[in-house]
Amino acid sequence: MDEEIDTRKINNSFLRDHNYATEADIISTVEFNPTGELLATGDKGGRVVVFQREQESKNQPHRRGEYNVYSTFQSHEPEFDYLKSLEIEEKINKIRWLPQQNAAYFLLSTNDKTVKLWKISERDKRPEGYNLKDEDGRIRDPATITALRVPVLQPMDLMVEATPRRVFSNAHTYHINSISVSNDYETYMSTDDLRINLWNLEITNQSFNIVDIKPANMEELTEVITAAEFHPNQCNTFIYSSSKGSIRLCDMRASALCDNHSKFFEEPEDPSNRSFFSEIISSISDVKFSHSGRYLMTRDYLTVKVWDLNMESKPLETYQVHDYLRSKLCSLYENDCIFDKFECVWNGSDSVIMTGSYNNFFRMFDRNTKRDVTLEASRENSKPRAILKPRKVCVGGKRRKDEISVDSLDFSKKILHTAWHPSENIIAVAATNNLYIFQDKVN
Amino acid sequence: MEYKVEAHRIMSISLGKIYNSRVQRGGIKLHKNLLVSLVLRSARQVYLRDYYGGICLSAQQAREWCEGEYMDSEQDRLVPGSTESLPESDGQSEVAVDKQEPSIVVESHAALDVESEARGEQDHAENGVLDSGCSELKTPESPEASPTCEVSNVVTTISSNCISGPPPSNPKQATETPNDCQTDSESVEENSHEPIVPHTCTNRKRSADDSELTDSLPKRTKVMSPTLISKNDEKKAETEEMDTSNVSSLITIFGSSFSGLLSSEDGAQPDSEAEDSDSGQICCDQMLKNLNPWSTAIVAF
Repeated sequence: MDEEIDTRKINNSFLRDHNYATEADIISTVEFNPTGELLATGDKGGRVVVFQREQESKNQPHRRGEYNVYSTFQSHEPEFDYLKSLEIEEKINKIRWLPQQNAAYFLLSTNDKTVKLWKISERDKRPEGYNLKDEDGRIRDPATITALRVPVLQPMDLMVEATPRRVFSNAHTYHINSISVSNDYETYMSTDDLRINLWNLEITNQSFNIVDIKPANMEELTEVITAAEFHPNQCNTFIYSSSKGSIRLCDMRASALCDNHSKFFEEPEDPSNRSFFSEIISSISDVKFSHSGRYLMTRDYLTVKVWDLNMESKPLETYQVHDYLRSKLCSLYENDCIFDKFECVWNGSDSVIMTGSYNNFFRMFDRNTKRDVTLEASRENSKPRAILKPRKVCVGGKRRKDEISVDSLDFSKKILHTAWHPSENIIAVAATNNLYIFQDKVN
Repeated sequence: MEYKVEAHRIMSISLGKIYNSRVQRGGIKLHKNLLVSLVLRSARQVYLRDYYGGICLSAQQAREWCEGEYMDSEQDRLVPGSTESLPESDGQSEVAVDKQEPSIVVESHAALDVESEARGEQDHAENGVLDSGCSELKTPESPEASPTCEVSNVVTTISSNCISGPPPSNPKQATETPNDCQTDSESVEENSHEPIVPHTCTNRKRSADDSELTDSLPKRTKVMSPTLISKNDEKKAETEEMDTSNVSSLITIFGSSFSGLLSSEDGAQPDSEAEDSDSGQICCDQMLKNLNPWSTAIVAF
């Protein structure tokens, strides 16, 4: 697939060198809304930036709907839990859009402890002609008022404002790692390391616990929940992945507490690959249903696996993302890279899956043709509007021209978060503090 | 042999990570610490297996000695006269045996049976860690510090081990090392963490198994000076908390021991780990003022 590159830099520091980028600008989540018109990013500083796609105009046909900043707001602030003397990071862990029901847009954003529902609305008119106050807002002296008038709405410059409509807090003891909106659009679930809670979007002072894997004795803890998602079409079904590499599918109709799964997906471990770090690399970092709801995809440290919901014993397909790292696990453990949580995404038709890697590489796998490609999100190595060149990492001794050897990979440049437009071939790739948007080339 | 070195290195790194996780922003991340503790356990197992093969014979001797003389050995261990170099002292009963044999202190973790083996892993871990951290420092201080070190080692080992393998079903045996070690460790740990209230802690913490050693415990308390509760120990304790092979309620130890220090909920088990580490840190900070420079070096690790 040919791609052209269109770069957006969303931090204000104008520094090109990533090494000097402030940590608060590191993008921590990327998500398209259900129509693909909006793209939201959350960063470590608790800010959410929403991009909106331009309307395609006939005057500039080659500018096919580029994304421009639509709204920026501070979603979460750092908090301090005084009881436990712990600081709660403001980093946005996940953003999920709600389907649009009126002129305003709604999204859920979460940090480690609190989920917030934000309403993003436009204002392009304002009332003018108040009786009791003048245009600057100063109170008019009642003695000077001689006539009554009715305020009229006058056009103004478009203003996009974001207001927090609901704050769902104090329901999680551990760090929230995912949120997922149900197909009924009335409820959503929030997941932390050991529990999953079900919320009604309207009610903030109550949530229902639907999964609880906390053992009675914490010392017997062997696995934690790493991600969870509702089925796209069935509001009663959801899946959650664990740090042991298993996925459980639960049906909320079966019981109020879904500790007993309906399906259990796990692939037996390959004993020949056993090492000190086998548990870490088998921990699932992301799980996503396909748009059809027929398949689910999991990402662990080295592979992406596609599972058929009807087959629990083994995955349908396994794709090696960066198997050349298998021999380097010890160094990756030392520099903490082995704990990186990569995400994975489906394209709109569920035919291609994409995930990130190191050195600002990201990989796409075509499930039908079984072809894969490695691309790089970097300004130095590709010009805007140029077609991305496929990259290759060489594992053997002989390095061909244009190949990169495993040892020269930059592990500080990792692509953890990517998003794919729900219907078109537009992808958003977050590389540390930069957001890259790629589109299919149009002749 | 390379496996042993590698395992040792991985253990040190893991412990360092656990240590760092307590000071990083955002609180302790359960998932990461769980994974690190799993790596630590795997490394320990390899280390021990590798090790065990090498010292099988000496282990045999050690075991025979140990079983016959457990009670005495415990007291003996606390005597400064024992010449084992500190860092290697482990505080396990079996290890106590080893302590009597300075020449093979570090190496001789007799993996007697499953239980002791599991504990031995702890010891190894600790040894490994301490080795790397303070090998050069141990010599000048060994005589005095040995009791404290041993005790602290007991602390760490306990936590993890408390009952790895089949839990000792009959608590009554004075000579049954696992139990004794466990209870001793518990009380030791309590003591180490709360030098202020050592006796009450000990009594409160008494588990049901702890019958024979009641008399030995008070003695232990008195002998122990503000122990070497370095962050090392605590962090290992934390590791062990999350280590699945542990049954001993380190959390309850922490929980009730630090109830005076914490203002948070009583029953909230979920947060006990976070609390524990914090309270551990608070206590640890208090302890740090009392530590001699050598132990501070370990803390710095």
